[in-house]
Amino acid sequence: MANELKYEWSLALRAEHWVRVIAIAALVFTGFYIHWPFISGSAESAVMSWMKFFHSVAAYALVLGLVVRVYLAFNSAFDRDWKDFSITKNLKDLPDMLAYYLFVNDTHKDYRKYNPLQAFAYLLIAVLIIFTTFTGAALYKGNAFGFINAQESFRWVNAMLGGESYTRIWHFLSMWVFIIFLGAHMYMGLIWSVVHKDKTFSSIFTGYKLKKKF
Amino acid sequence: MGDREEISKQFLGTFEFQGIKRRDFLKFCGATAALLGLSESFIPKIAAAIEKASKRPPVVWLNFASDSGCTEALIKATYPNAADLVLDILSVDYNETIMAAAGKQAEEILQNSKKAGDYILIVEGGVPTKKGHGMIAGKEMLDILKEFSGPAVAILAVGSCATFGGVPAAKPNPSQIIGVTEALKKVGVKKAVVNLDLCPVNVEYLVAVVVNYLLLGKLPELDSFGRPKMFYGQTIHENCERRANFDAGRFVETFGSNEEALGYCLYKMGCKGPMTYSACPKVMYNDRISWCVKSGGPCIGCAEHGWPDKFAGFYERLPDVKLPGIQATADKIGAVAGVATAVGIAAHAIATKSSGRGKGEKEGGNK
Ligand code: SF4
Ligand code: SF4
Repeated sequence: MANELKYEWSLALRAEHWVRVIAIAALVFTGFYIHWPFISGSAESAVMSWMKFFHSVAAYALVLGLVVRVYLAFNSAFDRDWKDFSITKNLKDLPDMLAYYLFVNDTHKDYRKYNPLQAFAYLLIAVLIIFTTFTGAALYKGNAFGFINAQESFRWVNAMLGGESYTRIWHFLSMWVFIIFLGAHMYMGLIWSVVHKDKTFSSIFTGYKLKKKF
Repeated sequence: MGDREEISKQFLGTFEFQGIKRRDFLKFCGATAALLGLSESFIPKIAAAIEKASKRPPVVWLNFASDSGCTEALIKATYPNAADLVLDILSVDYNETIMAAAGKQAEEILQNSKKAGDYILIVEGGVPTKKGHGMIAGKEMLDILKEFSGPAVAILAVGSCATFGGVPAAKPNPSQIIGVTEALKKVGVKKAVVNLDLCPVNVEYLVAVVVNYLLLGKLPELDSFGRPKMFYGQTIHENCERRANFDAGRFVETFGSNEEALGYCLYKMGCKGPMTYSACPKVMYNDRISWCVKSGGPCIGCAEHGWPDKFAGFYERLPDVKLPGIQATADKIGAVAGVATAVGIAAHAIATKSSGRGKGEKEGGNK
């Protein structure tokens, strides 16, 4: 069984991925600071103001990145991959993949780009981005994108979650889902590269991955 | 200035009789105008409205499940101010806590007010809905509320207890106490309620709403919790005098520290100012002497629905999460989730190694 290098990730996909990485890293760091300010500042430093500023900027990047990714899923010249995220299809394949991960089976089926667990995880991340965006906007006191009065427009989120203090908790807990995802995501990428030597880890830099040749 | 002369001498005479100077009266009108967001030109109109009101629109003040703190706040004002003025102007026909009459006599007054109708109904305290848990003169508080809400021209729920249940409604709430809005819904009365959430109510809010009603004949614009937007439109945090310290990242870490003496921000001491909507920093308490944060304590969020349950612990950054059977802080959940992930990854890595997976695969490409 020969393997071949395949161009998996277009430049646009990779760019969006890295924008997302930087945005999430910035959001987590500044988010932890806003949650519990661990650096004290001076009057000139305005450290909290800056943290909040970068938190908002990174949030814009994350949201717009998702918009771009959804657009690409439907309109990309390179690969319109929205069908890969089909819930029914992935549900059917899920037992196969789980059996492999849990060492019940030694092999798994070949999937086009994402295995069913991956597809679900990435879909979850999309939902999570939407969730953090809404809870974040509900806590925001300014004008989102310069013209949406966040406080007025997202009041219903606070009402739904039981008040602003609860929105805060949900917003904070959803960050932990990002962190858990990141842990698993990087582990998977690494282990695939190390164990299966298919260049998964470097593919998100170069775009190329080793795939079975059919 | 000419307008001000319109305030009749006789009217001012009554106040002077009570030890209130004309200047004080106009000052009060000015303060109320500012509170209502009206320009100075409204001062004479406010004075006139109060004068007209000296024909005494009656007020019925009902006391339910509460500690009467709101009544206390109203009568403990230090000099003849807003509260005294309006209490004197409005005839508070019925208020169990401060009225001289008692027993049968009090009941009579109450019934007379009801017959006369067109009174402003002010409710203090939560409404117990469990039978037998809150009764006055042999009547359920819920029934009393229903009885007196009908003929009222306006209903004001003052204090946290009356608006949402407040402290008496805190878990486990054995008397099943609810706020006035919910109670009225329960008994099928469809009437707008002005909610003046706070513990205790800020007397200036109360007076301003009443004056606004006398002036314009209508209730102020309300937010989704039924609170007047003019007082509950912005968070404490937005107007806080310690905000500059928050922005600069200067926080009190422990009470009794140097940072506290310097008046740094109380965020890390559990201040709920960022999630609490009220004009406390601007209006303050006790004749604008001070308010919670100014006096050195973090805001505990008493202006919000769901207080105190949803805002405990008062000295912690985020309230506890209450899942069925579990009570945890957000940070604990995060830590547990983080550890679980690390353990899961480690376990999988070890299993991968011991299963010898990947041994047969070799790196290769199409050359
Ligand atoms: S003391 Fe409270 S309300 Fe004031 S700036 Fe700090 S966090 Fe905000
Ligand atoms: S500052 Fe906070 S705790 Fe104090 S009265 Fe206002 S809302 Fe209540």
